[in-house]
Amino acid sequence: MSEINPDSVGETGAGAGGRSSQSGVFDIFIAELDRLRQVAAGMGLGAADAEDAMQDVSVKALKQRRKGKSQDEVVRWLTKVTVNRCLMHHRRRKRFSRSAAEIIKRRTENTVEAAGTDAKAIVAEELEIVRETLRELDDSLLTVLALRYFCGLNSTEIGQTLGLSASAVRSRLREGRMILAKRLIERGIEP
Amino acid sequence: MKKSCEQIEKLLVDYADGELSPSESGEVAEHLAKCDRCQKVLKGLRRSLELAGVVWADGLEEIRGVGLPQTTAAGRFRWRRYAAVAAGILIAAGISLSRRMITEPRAAAPNIAEMERRIEEVGRAARLLAAAELLAEYPDAQSIAKQQYRYIVEKYPETPAATQAKPRIQ
Repeated sequence: MSEINPDSVGETGAGAGGRSSQSGVFDIFIAELDRLRQVAAGMGLGAADAEDAMQDVSVKALKQRRKGKSQDEVVRWLTKVTVNRCLMHHRRRKRFSRSAAEIIKRRTENTVEAAGTDAKAIVAEELEIVRETLRELDDSLLTVLALRYFCGLNSTEIGQTLGLSASAVRSRLREGRMILAKRLIERGIEP
Repeated sequence: MKKSCEQIEKLLVDYADGELSPSESGEVAEHLAKCDRCQKVLKGLRRSLELAGVVWADGLEEIRGVGLPQTTAAGRFRWRRYAAVAAGILIAAGISLSRRMITEPRAAAPNIAEMERRIEEVGRAARLLAAAELLAEYPDAQSIAKQQYRYIVEKYPETPAATQAKPRIQ
């Protein structure tokens, strides 16, 4: 993936200035912690790596001066830093390390979560194919997929965060989605 | 002119995401009504996203269990000192671990993966302890520091950092 520069806070102006609160970068980090954890989960980090990543981001947040940046700009910067930390961990370790069987076991144990999902049964083989595909997916594709479909950012917001145009984001989304879908179909699974 | 399957396929992700204009969307829907192959791709797109959501949600569940980075905005850290303390503790922990490995008789030689895991744990706990020690210097951050000590003791009980953290909980 093209290198993301986290050293400048929000260079794009769009969407900024919606909130006027002047809390510090670290306060915003605390407020956004759940969302940043979601980014780390979307990128496939395990608990230990996520703990490391969050610790690193918290350190960066403490050192970073807000310098009049809007809350949206700071949030984008924090997201970018978190993505970069996750990418660093990918170079060292496997992502999405829990097998489909383990995931299904946990889901059945957690009845509240299972009840909230769709009625269609999760087939272990299908889940394993998708997990493996996510694991092998290029970072540039995984990042946009996770931010779009797991963290709920739209293409423009992802573009602003990663320094890409919205059309480049859409193009990566198309590519990533097609890889996931075709892997399921190729392996003989009837969706 | 009607679009081919290949042309339609390029639009399917945007169609599934509702990002197409009404006219394009209509064109895709019309094609899908009579093309099993494209229907299958669309189903694959939807199903794979659903399953990716399951994998992501499971990861988030695991991550939610990890301790909060217990740094605080209450006081601004002296970062050089923070780094020095962390490095010092890491070195001390490393020396202690190496010494134990050299001097203490072992039932069986640990494998490399196990050693790496232990070293990582020791390092992680030491890092958290360094942050907690600095927090403890600030009157406003006493309770957060205690939380951090407790977390170290619970999460990394076998580490030198946990031994140091234990008396600070009381």
